[in-house]
Amino acid sequence: MPSSEREKTVFVIDDDEIIRLSCEQILHKSGYRVETFGNGYEGIERLKAVKPPLLVVDIKMPELDGFEVIKIVRKIDPELVIVVITGYATIETAVDAMKMGAYDFLPKPFTPSELRLIIDRGFERWRLANETRLLRKQKEEVERKFVTLVSHQLKAPLGAVKQYLDVLLYTCRDQFSSEAIEWISRSQSRISEMISMIQDWLMLAKLDRGVLCESASLCDLGKIIEETLQEYQQIPSANEITLTGEIAPDLVPVRGDKAGLGLLVDNLVSNAVKYNRPGGKVTVRAGREGRSIVLEVSDTGLGIPQDFRPHLFEEFYRVKTPETQKIPGTGLGLVICKRIVDELGGSIEVDSKEGEYSVFTVKLPAAESEEEVDKN
Amino acid sequence: MSESKSVLIIDDDSDFVRAVQALLESSGYRVRSALNGREGLQLAKTTQPDLILLDVMMSERTEGFFLLQEMRRVPVLSNTPVIVVSSIYSDEPVFRVDPETGWLPANLFLAKPVEPAKLLSEVKRLTSETSEKSTAATGRRQL
Repeated sequence: MPSSEREKTVFVIDDDEIIRLSCEQILHKSGYRVETFGNGYEGIERLKAVKPPLLVVDIKMPELDGFEVIKIVRKIDPELVIVVITGYATIETAVDAMKMGAYDFLPKPFTPSELRLIIDRGFERWRLANETRLLRKQKEEVERKFVTLVSHQLKAPLGAVKQYLDVLLYTCRDQFSSEAIEWISRSQSRISEMISMIQDWLMLAKLDRGVLCESASLCDLGKIIEETLQEYQQIPSANEITLTGEIAPDLVPVRGDKAGLGLLVDNLVSNAVKYNRPGGKVTVRAGREGRSIVLEVSDTGLGIPQDFRPHLFEEFYRVKTPETQKIPGTGLGLVICKRIVDELGGSIEVDSKEGEYSVFTVKLPAAESEEEVDKN
Repeated sequence: MSESKSVLIIDDDSDFVRAVQALLESSGYRVRSALNGREGLQLAKTTQPDLILLDVMMSERTEGFFLLQEMRRVPVLSNTPVIVVSSIYSDEPVFRVDPETGWLPANLFLAKPVEPAKLLSEVKRLTSETSEKSTAATGRRQL
């Protein structure tokens, strides 16, 4: 069926032949294309193929009643506009039908103009919803293109500059004065900061599009923690931080995206290492608490002054104290953590004592079933 | 090592090519480069390098991906180690680099800019692995 035909099609499901015929006549005159059905099953079968914008359905029918029909067609087409006809016009049945997703109701008996009015309004609603959907899709497409463009246009040149500096310092170090080496090193770290900022920003854009939810599987959080800690242990740290993992033996899997969970753990551990004291400790615990998985990352570091805590999860916010001044960061790490946790249906909290410790506690819903954990 | 190993860089970013070429040459590698996929494949076929450094995102978004798939179908290049580099992606999991089963049959992924020491050690590791493999293969044939 051409879409111009489909877009003016009304389905009428009613066991009363008089109603079917009169609806058909009235709506046909108004320029609609009408298909009528004497019972729910026939209507639903045909609806799958045609996908009309609007359905008029009687509540009281033998076999499948109007409520059952609404329940089924909502799943087939969430955009379908449904108008219910109710014979025994009580407000309760109408409200029940609306709760299940009907758009409006028409109490029997009704006049031709009442029917036309409701159907016209229903079509207008469908048209508007359709337009909104289309606009939203276009907007998302523009955003996606913008993100790709920015990533390439900004990251590539910065990367090239840093690559020159990296190679320069690696191959010609002995030809430079100590001051020149310092300047090059400073340039490298400033560029690295900018690259990380673009990366974090891209990650946020990705999270906004719900990309991380698409690849949800059962993940072994303990394994993710161990891998992250191993990575940090391999990097020689100037501050001699000791990293420890304490993973409860009864830990159950978490449903989520492995890359997202990895990023969450990595960001929290990275902060705990950065905002620590020389010789400090970082402890990552994972365990079960009722139906939740609790991930706790604690440090023996600088702590977060009370005034700063409410803003920690805001974009580009950074704790500014004399001690944190020289610590590099993008101000997006915790924002990313919060978005990931939100997406997984969990929560994140912070407890801290200035000059002593900070503890970030993440609670995630434990996976219920015993499916095979994604080992990849 | 009687003869120095050769590396082919395929990347449309000429600055990246210059910097990495200088780095590899300073460690004694012979380096050739190509600024697009077509030229890169041609050079790879004719010169049969010991290792290929390939950018997956060139002027065409998927140029590198397809190039790599195509390269693997060329008998003389089917076992050449390939390091994939990219400035767009920063995570290996995105690529699922897996020479056995992966849809991107590369040996390693490195994010750009590459760390000089890391690149040199990986190039050394991958080029010595191939020479071991080919020695073993030759050995078997002689039996």
